[in-house]
Amino acid sequence: MDACLAVDREVDKVLSKFEDMSKSYNVVLQQLIDNLEIIQNDWQNNAIKDENKESSINEISNLIHKSKEKTQQLAIEHRELHSTVSKVGKAIDRNFVSDFNATCKEDIFDDPKNVTLLNYIICQHFYRQGNLDIADELVMESGIVIEPSIREPFAKLKHIKESLVNKNIYPALEWAKENRAVLDTQMYPPYPLVKRISSASNLPIRIPYHAKRTKFSGGIMKPRPKTKKIKRMELAKKILQQFYKSSALEFKLHQLAFLEIIQKGVEHQTEAVAYARANFSQFVDRYEKEIQIMMGMLLFIPQGINKSPYSDMVQENMWDEVIELFTRDACTLLGLSFDSLLNVSVNAGCAALPALLNIKHVMTQRKVNDIWKGKDELPIEIDLDSEHRYHSMFACPILRQQSSDTNPPMRLICGHIISKDALQKLGITKLKCPYCPMEQSTSEAKHICF
Amino acid sequence: MSDLKSLEHPTLKVPYEVLNKKFRTTQKTLDREVSHFQNAVQEFERDISSDVAMTDTSHISSLLSGMVEKLKVLKRKADEGINDELQAGLVCKKRLEHLKEHNSPCEVIVKNWRRRRLDRMLVEYFLRCGYYNSANKLANNSDLNDLTNIDLFMISKEVEHSLANHETSKCLAWCHDNRSKLRKLRSTMEFNLRIQEFIELVRQDKRLDAVRHARKYISTFEDTRMDEVQQCMVLLAFPTDTEISPYKDMFDETRWQRLIEQFRQENYNLYQLSSQSVFTVVLQAGLSALKTPQCYSEIKEARNISCPVCQEWFNTLAKPLPFAHCSQSRLFCSISGLPLNEHNIPMVLPNGYVYGEQALVEMSNQNNGQVICPKTKEVYWLKQAEKVYVM
Repeated sequence: MDACLAVDREVDKVLSKFEDMSKSYNVVLQQLIDNLEIIQNDWQNNAIKDENKESSINEISNLIHKSKEKTQQLAIEHRELHSTVSKVGKAIDRNFVSDFNATCKEDIFDDPKNVTLLNYIICQHFYRQGNLDIADELVMESGIVIEPSIREPFAKLKHIKESLVNKNIYPALEWAKENRAVLDTQMYPPYPLVKRISSASNLPIRIPYHAKRTKFSGGIMKPRPKTKKIKRMELAKKILQQFYKSSALEFKLHQLAFLEIIQKGVEHQTEAVAYARANFSQFVDRYEKEIQIMMGMLLFIPQGINKSPYSDMVQENMWDEVIELFTRDACTLLGLSFDSLLNVSVNAGCAALPALLNIKHVMTQRKVNDIWKGKDELPIEIDLDSEHRYHSMFACPILRQQSSDTNPPMRLICGHIISKDALQKLGITKLKCPYCPMEQSTSEAKHICF
Repeated sequence: MSDLKSLEHPTLKVPYEVLNKKFRTTQKTLDREVSHFQNAVQEFERDISSDVAMTDTSHISSLLSGMVEKLKVLKRKADEGINDELQAGLVCKKRLEHLKEHNSPCEVIVKNWRRRRLDRMLVEYFLRCGYYNSANKLANNSDLNDLTNIDLFMISKEVEHSLANHETSKCLAWCHDNRSKLRKLRSTMEFNLRIQEFIELVRQDKRLDAVRHARKYISTFEDTRMDEVQQCMVLLAFPTDTEISPYKDMFDETRWQRLIEQFRQENYNLYQLSSQSVFTVVLQAGLSALKTPQCYSEIKEARNISCPVCQEWFNTLAKPLPFAHCSQSRLFCSISGLPLNEHNIPMVLPNGYVYGEQALVEMSNQNNGQVICPKTKEVYWLKQAEKVYVM
């Protein structure tokens, strides 16, 4: 921000100086022109008597002397502004970085294959933003090939979203009905636990339909009866289903439609009841409570919902919520993330680049040249928002190394976690926990997974 | 260092260079017009001083009107010039105002600003790739015409186009326009263009014209690039389908393509644009910062649909880039997505998977104390989960 202000100050100076100059010289030059024109007119019309000629010429000499001075001054003053102008340039150069050379690999985006990939990515970004025309133009100009089957769903989604913005639920409802079978298997963690809708937790988790293998502890034991196994799976399914909620889109849409009718007033109440009868019965096992609330609202139609205990049910942001819900469902259905991935990566890059430029500055001072060459890791840790953290990263507190498939985190019996490499370094058969007095044998450490 | 500081140099520098150029041209016109006026004044003074009575009225009147004319022209030119400079300055100002929005306390404005920043980067990337229509469309769509350097690229588009059609005039005019700056940058653009013209003349077998052309234009470069001049003059002695190596290359059509490339580079240098677009630089940095070994893990479970690098296209793009550096553990509960810390203690289930306390408690509350591991679908009691301590 300081950078901006510094440049801003210089630009303001330039602007005010030019303005002043333009104003003052406008007046001065106009005056000179006017004066000269008057005299010239006199001369032209022979209005000057012979005895006055000399004085008139003296007057002219004075005038032109003055104008000579003024014009010269104009040129000089304008030239003097050069320092003010060039200060802007210097301020920009001092406050902004122009050289990215050491922080990127130049050749990556030269490869035509990668350019095509990048164009695909940009195209998809515009598709999901709803700017289909820009994406189409890009497809044409860059000559990439995109199957119409990829573009089509986005066009449809755009249409549905637009109608939702215009408070028309029917296209969305139709879409939800069409995809009901798939939407029902999409599972989301319960809302209060997850504040951020774009977080990693939105991974849909499908309930397994395949049964788990029955364990035999000995040859004589009979396998468990089949009914019991099914029961166990049922239980697991039920637990998960109670915990993870399947998509509420269709219900929410019906709810919105119902609320719209109710808010129209008493004369539409039969319509509302009819709507509820026609549509709500199918949701009763999942949304009993919500349906009860909505039917309760019927009581308060005469005095208006806004003054009833249910007033918080009818708020403008319900529409936004449904639009968000729809976007989320639509994206998962298309196998996309909630946010545009391009947006996410560019925002991450905007956060990372300043840090990289800083470290580059330090490294060039110490004559370590290219950050990126021959390294498979960035030289520093980039502090991204927690929203941008998509994977749990475990770094061993002893070796300060990131865990990997061959070097997984291990839990000691005291609960402390160190990496497998560190475990092996601390003791061959027995070790003492580095953080507490507990002693144990290495084989007791357990492999864990985040 | 803030992101503004590291990313917005071209946004401000280009309009500054335009302002600077406008300043120079205005100064030139002012100097010229002032000297015209001074000449008229001198003429008048000379005539007057000879003898007042002798000079007749009409002569003085015509001299006067000449001076008035000159003065009027001067005023008009000064007005125009300063106005141009003001306009250029206002463009700088406008961009600065836009950049200042970045620090707005209102979240919506910042979010919107970031979206437009991406659009600005994309416009620039399109322009650099030569996707001019897409760039225009995007700029119009997001109202970015004043905030991106689209004008600059539209000028270069014309020059590139004319070079592609094997015409040199536009590019030469451009060289002339920016002569002093190009000289400072030690540009070889004009020289290469003249050589190309020479080659074309030889190709058409107008060898005498070629010699005349060389005498007129190329001889001026004699002292600095004698070798190349000589090499080029040798062409006169060879047929156009020669197989001898340096000369064969010179007759090659791809030399035009190289000229276009050179023009692009010089144009970037002129406005101090870096050879890479901000977009690609930022994208690389971003992908690197997001890249983890999990994104390339064999186990599909480890991938995350919201993570860019886990997505197929980005995954390929990011392959040559370095991984993010990690010296501090950053753990998240894969059920709720919340960070694991003292408020949300990590708990390990008997099968070795770690989840956050909050999510497990929530789940067990709903299921009479039972939890289920979403990854393996095994059912446990909540009390079977044990705390783990991550340092």
